[in-house]
Amino acid sequence: MSDQIILQLKGISKQFPGVKALDNVSLDVRKGEVHVLLGENGAGKSTLMKILSGVYKKDSGKIFLDGKEVEINSVNDAENLGIGIIHQEFNLLPHRDIAQNIFLGKEPTKRGPLGVKVLDKATMYSKCNELLKTVGIDLDSRILVKDLGIAQKQMVEIAKALSLANLKILIMDEPTATLTKGEIDKLFSIIRKYKSMGISIIYISHRMEEIQVIGDRVTVLRDGKYIGTVPVKETPPSELIRMMVGREITNLYKRDYNEPGPEALKVCNLSSRGKFKDVNFSVRRGEIVGFYGLVGAGRTEVAKAIFGEDKYDAGEILINGKKVKHHMPSQAVQNKMGLLPEDRRDEGLITKMLLKQNVVQASLRKVFPKGILNNKVESQIATKYITKLNIATPDENVVVASLSGGNQQKVVLAKWLLTDSEVLIFDEPTRGIDVGAKAEIYELMNDLAKSGKAIMMISSDLPEVIGLSDRIYVMYQGKIVAEFSHENASQERIVNFAIGRGDTL
Amino acid sequence: MTYAKIIKQLKKLPGIIYGLVIIIAFFGVTADYFLTFMNMMNILKQASVLIVVSLGMTLAILLGKIDMSVGSTMSLVGVVTGICLHKGISIPLAICIGMAVGSIIGFINGYLIGYRKFDYWIVTFSNMGIAQSLALVITNGATIPGFDSSFRFLGDGQIYGVPVGILIAMAIALAIIYLSYNTKFGSNIYAVGGNEQVARYSGIDTSKVIFKTYILSSLLAGFAGILLVSKVNSANPIAGSGYEFDAIAATLIGGTPFDGGRGGVLGTIIGACIIATLRNGLNMLGLTPPIQFTLVGFIIILIIIFDVLNEKYKAKKGGAANEA
Repeated sequence: MSDQIILQLKGISKQFPGVKALDNVSLDVRKGEVHVLLGENGAGKSTLMKILSGVYKKDSGKIFLDGKEVEINSVNDAENLGIGIIHQEFNLLPHRDIAQNIFLGKEPTKRGPLGVKVLDKATMYSKCNELLKTVGIDLDSRILVKDLGIAQKQMVEIAKALSLANLKILIMDEPTATLTKGEIDKLFSIIRKYKSMGISIIYISHRMEEIQVIGDRVTVLRDGKYIGTVPVKETPPSELIRMMVGREITNLYKRDYNEPGPEALKVCNLSSRGKFKDVNFSVRRGEIVGFYGLVGAGRTEVAKAIFGEDKYDAGEILINGKKVKHHMPSQAVQNKMGLLPEDRRDEGLITKMLLKQNVVQASLRKVFPKGILNNKVESQIATKYITKLNIATPDENVVVASLSGGNQQKVVLAKWLLTDSEVLIFDEPTRGIDVGAKAEIYELMNDLAKSGKAIMMISSDLPEVIGLSDRIYVMYQGKIVAEFSHENASQERIVNFAIGRGDTL
Repeated sequence: MTYAKIIKQLKKLPGIIYGLVIIIAFFGVTADYFLTFMNMMNILKQASVLIVVSLGMTLAILLGKIDMSVGSTMSLVGVVTGICLHKGISIPLAICIGMAVGSIIGFINGYLIGYRKFDYWIVTFSNMGIAQSLALVITNGATIPGFDSSFRFLGDGQIYGVPVGILIAMAIALAIIYLSYNTKFGSNIYAVGGNEQVARYSGIDTSKVIFKTYILSSLLAGFAGILLVSKVNSANPIAGSGYEFDAIAATLIGGTPFDGGRGGVLGTIIGACIIATLRNGLNMLGLTPPIQFTLVGFIIILIIIFDVLNEKYKAKKGGAANEA
């Protein structure tokens, strides 16, 4: 890394209807550094990067690359300047193959019959295979993206960004959100390699541990404003968090451990072919039971089977000691279960509907026994939960899509609290949620446990699992391979079990 | 299971070819004169019109959208060309005028949907009505009969016993196949249909892709309309009505689902042959067109059921393999 500044953003502003997304933000990036962009959700990180990559147009401000002012009006402009981006959400076409995705919009062409420009498929596939090799993915470039695992998709995204001929700046928007430890290490070694080649990386992440490992300097944004730029090595995480939220979060995980009550959920020898096998566990009232494992270890599949969304081949499920069999989620809901799914926007909420409509969604029969909806009653109920869960929203009549991730999660929670759910399954409860809102969700979960709810929590965030759970189950390849109490849980041991190495310390 | 998921199973080309074979075998046994050379050529003539219009529909559906206006565009272009011919305008010029009128429909569709972001259902549905109405107005609702044999050669002529119409349709089909699999434009259609945002983020001018696709769809529909006029030797202002149904059916049967971004024109060609065969065979068995719509509908559902079962079977096998 040198001190030479390659990219400079000066006084960038961007107004969206109703919000000032960016207010006079500046940023300078040195050649060959990993520059972390930090901020809570809604701080403007992604907006700034979308401006830099040509997806959005800035309202005002200037961009300098290599000391020269540049205009970026389209994705093509950015790519021609050597600015590549890996977006937060997957930007791949599932039904096209790897090469078609990587070269999308910039396919190599040649002169075909009658002199028309046609795709040069031979070049495309051979170039793609080369690229995949340099990124370290051992895949055939003709495999359809839909047949890839999540981590493999992420690697294809990375390869797509790296396919730019004259790459100078690579923007990564939360690239590790879906990766496991091993894959993250692989990603970091790729980042280091490109860094040594003089490519600058702008890295957006919420994860403090990662920033410490990979980052050189950090720029913090808050509410669309520039807060400051500091070197990673000399700045403790608590200071970064303070810059991010404007206050210090001393204790992220707050948990009052009480003697748990009777077993609310018991699962015996649950098996589903190809997904999980002989799964045994229980969750008692007042407990938070954490499930840790790699992506694909079968945790979500178990949850969906219990909730009646997926079928299972063998085994028993007992709720409050009574044997139940859920053929569909509505039966699970009747048995006082609630699922806060991993994918909030698609499975947890109807994002086009209003907050109040989402809150009453699972309790319509209870709230309106006559089958006739009442606006006022909906509003009253929703207002109650807005206060109770501290949901940040103008009122109950907003479309859920307009809320931030943390507040959307609270709406899902409100929905299940209204049904009087006694067993709650949280699947990745804080994925994509910023630090401030995370702390609030943890506090809510603690309160729920205290009030006697039984909570099953699936999470890939190890500090979260350890900090919140009474007990922890570790899954590996569809089986529960270990159980820890919160007293004897250690990061190293849990990870060892999760990656299939067993108790080898 | 969602509709999209069910449709997804439609993809298998080989299964569709078997379907065509089964249908041919069925009518071969049940209808007396079905398996004659004459009748086969008849089916191909019938299919040629449907193939051309279905190609455009498939491109629109690959885009994740639809073009409801193709049937009435056929009618409109047919009568415009017919009127021009009766006014003594030369054949190439008459065809060009007809196609130009057709491309206006495509221009409106493409502009409003691609650049103004209007809903594609509303736009193409409205244009379906507008084009139909125009066709009726300019003809006063009357059919324009009788054309020169040189014009009729297009849809009704033969070269060494092979209908010219099918040769033209095949040439167009080859061009569209090449376009969709081997050009950037084709690749962009798949990208826009697969996920418009991904396409845009990859630097593709999605508005332009949509605009061009709708123009192409209208041009193909227009040409199909001209072929039809030439084949039946009259320009009927409602001749194309119902073709949008058959074109959608050919696309679905051919394995291009409504959600866009997958499938392709190759399957559509077979799908169009299946429908043409079916209609011909049913006619021979004395079943009238109204009943035929029911049967086409049933066949679409049947194919979907078959493919869902097939996929389930495969999933089971796959699951077992994973476990081993």
